[in-house]
Amino acid sequence: MKRKFWTALLLAGTACFAGPGPKGTAPKSAASFYSTHAEQQGTAIGATLVSPQQAQKLFTSPVNRCCTVIEVAVFPSKDRPQDVSLNDFVLRVEGTETALKPSSAQVTAASLRKKASSDRDVRLSPTVGVGYNTGGYDPVSGRRGGVDEGVGVAVSDGGPGPKPGSTEKDRSAMETELSEKGLPEGTVTAPVAGYIYFPVSNKKGTTKVLEYTLNGKKMVLTLR
Amino acid sequence: MSLLRSGVLVAATLALSLNLLSQQTLTTAEQPQAASPAQSQNAAASPANDLTQAQSEEKTAKTETSQDQNKDSTDSKQRKTHIGLGAVTVGAGYSHFSGPPYPYGYGPYGYYPYDGLYSGMLWSPIWGPYYDPAYFSRGYGRGEVRLSADPKTAAVYVDGGYAGTADKLKNIWLDPGAYDLSVTADGREPFKERIYVLSGKSVKIAAKLSESKDKPQP
Repeated sequence: MKRKFWTALLLAGTACFAGPGPKGTAPKSAASFYSTHAEQQGTAIGATLVSPQQAQKLFTSPVNRCCTVIEVAVFPSKDRPQDVSLNDFVLRVEGTETALKPSSAQVTAASLRKKASSDRDVRLSPTVGVGYNTGGYDPVSGRRGGVDEGVGVAVSDGGPGPKPGSTEKDRSAMETELSEKGLPEGTVTAPVAGYIYFPVSNKKGTTKVLEYTLNGKKMVLTLR
Repeated sequence: MSLLRSGVLVAATLALSLNLLSQQTLTTAEQPQAASPAQSQNAAASPANDLTQAQSEEKTAKTETSQDQNKDSTDSKQRKTHIGLGAVTVGAGYSHFSGPPYPYGYGPYGYYPYDGLYSGMLWSPIWGPYYDPAYFSRGYGRGEVRLSADPKTAAVYVDGGYAGTADKLKNIWLDPGAYDLSVTADGREPFKERIYVLSGKSVKIAAKLSESKDKPQP
């Protein structure tokens, strides 16, 4: 019994101090399995543009509301570790001059946080009223006469209430999801894959160019 | 999925307004007697006689006090209290609320600060961590996990704690956050997935457990 207790305590302690969940997605067996790929100095990169419909299925967070999601895999050369950083990626949307850097999970989650619609909005509700009143007491003349009767009917539909906003817990959950599914950063010796989020809406029919700078040299991947 | 809450309130009110009519018939207030011309003349004629003037003023004040007392007693005798039926009002109301659920932490009776502290996981020395089945019930600010499992009798674990069997946990309501969901059954490969729950959102999980490769030894 004591042994069980200490085992359980050890497991609980391990769970408490365990780090965050797995980072990124499972990389495919080769860069060529992605929509587009490039190779330089023995390091290969594969990328696939995630459509809004796919993003809706892949993420609980409504990431397609604000961002373009790209799944990226980095395959480092066998004899040399590769430093992976989000700062090495740039997205260019064809027809525009702007070059975008990826947003971190924290920033993306914050931008996805939905504000509640204000309670202060003036809302009009249809109301029907019928009233009848006769007689009463005249305080000036002091005369009392007639009959006091009152009948009233009112029907009102309150209408839709204010839309709920995202809570702090929602924001935290979105950040966790985007972070855990994001491309792992740091020095890697084995293939890694994950999503990167660019703060631009993913419009259909626009060609996007993903640039990756490897040791000062650019690798260009065209995404459609 | 936004939650739809509707409440219907029908109220009928019968109000009797009672007017407290306190009619105060005030008697005509008697004006204090003006000083006689003789006294005025006397006062004007001998302004230096302060003592006499002070005595006369004292007398006048005493006379006014006695007059006020007489007036009050007269008023209390003539004051009558009337209670009259002012109005009879009958009202009916209808109210319909189709708004959203209360945000996390806010219930119908205000903010509940201990929501975040309650994890819901219990501990049994025999079975280990487990959840009270009522913990997964629908609540304000929660998200839904729609679980379908094969076999239906598979055991469901949330963050390592036993939640129940899959057939009784088709709809799991959880607070926003990330959870480790696992579904296990004897002779089947365990199903494990990291799930993310957001308030008002629904996540579908289909856990089809394949046959285990490691057959149990006889």
